[in-house]
Amino acid sequence: MTSHSDLLGIMFYGAAVALLLIGLYTMLTRRHLIRVLLGLTLVEAGVNLALVAAGFRPEAAAPILGPGAAPAMVDPVPQALILTAIVIGVGILAFALSLVVRIHRTYGSVDLQVIGERLASDPDGTGSEIRRRAP
Amino acid sequence: MSPALLLAVPVLGAFVLPSLHRASPFASRVAGPLILVVQVALVAALWQQAVVHGPLVIELGGLPAPMGIAWQADQLGLLWCGALALLALVLWPREGHDPNRAATLTLLLVGAGSGLALSADLFNLFVLYELTALASFGLVVSQGTGAQAAATLRFLLLGATGSALALLGIALIYAATGTLNLAQLAQVTPGAMSDPLVLTAFALLLAGLGVKAELFPLNTWVPEVYGAASPRVAGLLAGAVSKLALLVVLRLLTTIFADTGAAMVLLGVAAVTVLAGELAAYRAQDLRRMLAYSSIGQLGLMALAFSVSNPTGIAAGLALGLHHLLVKPALFVMIADWPRRRPQTRGLAAGAPWSAAAFVLLALSLVGVPPLPGFWAKLVLLQALLGTGGGPYAAAAALVLVITVVEAGYLIPLARQLYSGEPAVRVRARIGRGVPLILALLLAVVLIGPVAQRLDQVASSVPGPATALPRLSASEPGQP
Repeated sequence: MTSHSDLLGIMFYGAAVALLLIGLYTMLTRRHLIRVLLGLTLVEAGVNLALVAAGFRPEAAAPILGPGAAPAMVDPVPQALILTAIVIGVGILAFALSLVVRIHRTYGSVDLQVIGERLASDPDGTGSEIRRRAP
Repeated sequence: MSPALLLAVPVLGAFVLPSLHRASPFASRVAGPLILVVQVALVAALWQQAVVHGPLVIELGGLPAPMGIAWQADQLGLLWCGALALLALVLWPREGHDPNRAATLTLLLVGAGSGLALSADLFNLFVLYELTALASFGLVVSQGTGAQAAATLRFLLLGATGSALALLGIALIYAATGTLNLAQLAQVTPGAMSDPLVLTAFALLLAGLGVKAELFPLNTWVPEVYGAASPRVAGLLAGAVSKLALLVVLRLLTTIFADTGAAMVLLGVAAVTVLAGELAAYRAQDLRRMLAYSSIGQLGLMALAFSVSNPTGIAAGLALGLHHLLVKPALFVMIADWPRRRPQTRGLAAGAPWSAAAFVLLALSLVGVPPLPGFWAKLVLLQALLGTGGGPYAAAAALVLVITVVEAGYLIPLARQLYSGEPAVRVRARIGRGVPLILALLLAVVLIGPVAQRLDQVASSVPGPATALPRLSASEPGQP
């Protein structure tokens, strides 16, 4: 049985690292802002999974106190932590999406390369120059 | 008095301010600065307590660590709480686009930043770091222009990825030690974690904190954000918030990562940061970007000082940090009315004599010309680096000297240019909010002795792993 739960631990950490790497790869290679943000959520999901895995104990139950003698439980602290981490992640993501909306309204694109080009030809940062020249 | 008030008062104020603004705009205009004054008074009271009785440690919720969340009000943290509140007061948003929203975010920044300086719990540090980051994102984008949104998004992507990696570092540490309390970790880590694991955790944490601390290579957001944000916000971020992140690095270095290779990692990163920042500043043609790059260089110097994590090094880092906290915001708010391109500042002194004179004074202090405080800060840094001995530190000391020449190489010609030739455009510029900062700088010239003594005292009161804060039961595992 121990080898079985060892395997489970390795699976947790393996999945966490895989999510993290896929997320980082997405963030580095995509030019579409929404996809970049999806990459960020994957990174955060990977890290949260790693935190849960840190509290993993073989042969242990969910950390909920019930009637009778308490069985061996997994560590509840990381589970409490990731709740906070998820909430923070949602807040940051919502803010980031509102920024994407603002950028799209100003520069008319969500493509990083196009935004970069239009940003360079926008001296006052308000996009007025670009709208003036647009057909 | 509870140190948690330093977080609670400004954050509650930030929540109340928008409703108050709706009821009475005048009351909300008065209330904001008033809250900061209360904050400064609280810091002063806690400071007295910390000097007399030593650092005050409380556990929120009344539970002992690791369940309760520990706070420590030591002199180091309180010094930065006070500096942050005072700087926010000087740079308080009174005019401009939607000052009420900016006021709310500034209060949130002060609260979260103070919490960051006082937290003694690894996860709480992460939460407050994120809160500080969110408040600064909001402040950067406060005029709502496209360029600000683009700069903020870049800052956010880098910051959020860094924070996720830092959280991974925290997970590694927790998995190995089973605690998040800094004082406990300081005792447990040497036995519980192998050297490669400790260094990996430090590198991950540095990847998160380094974004805000403007460390290489995580500082690509700096020129964009400081160039696009309002000068007031750029001053606040460069002056205080970036240093809070470095302060956390110092806290980690003196507790969990004491006596590991972590100090050498920080030394290397700091050296590259200094070099990259100052060379980029030398080449910059846009004035605000030049100041942004120079701020990277100065934070690198501070990190160099902190990597010598003995009291001399910490005192040097504090001196550099406080000096930069006065000089850089003053420079940012002063050049707000100037033309942005370097060549266009020719002969600017004719139209704006006070502003130009103040620029010369601040630039000379930044380079480190005696008797200005900048000279003294760099001298203490050199003493700390050379006093430690060892090849890397001696090389770092040489780097500091070279960097001073580079700084002089871009600041002095600019200062001369202000006084030469006919102005291309006649600008009128006020010093305005820079005045209290410049006065404080001049006051420091006179009071350099007492200030130095006080900083030495703060530095030697920084709790190390041996003098860990809360007394722990002897049953803790992992003591070597």
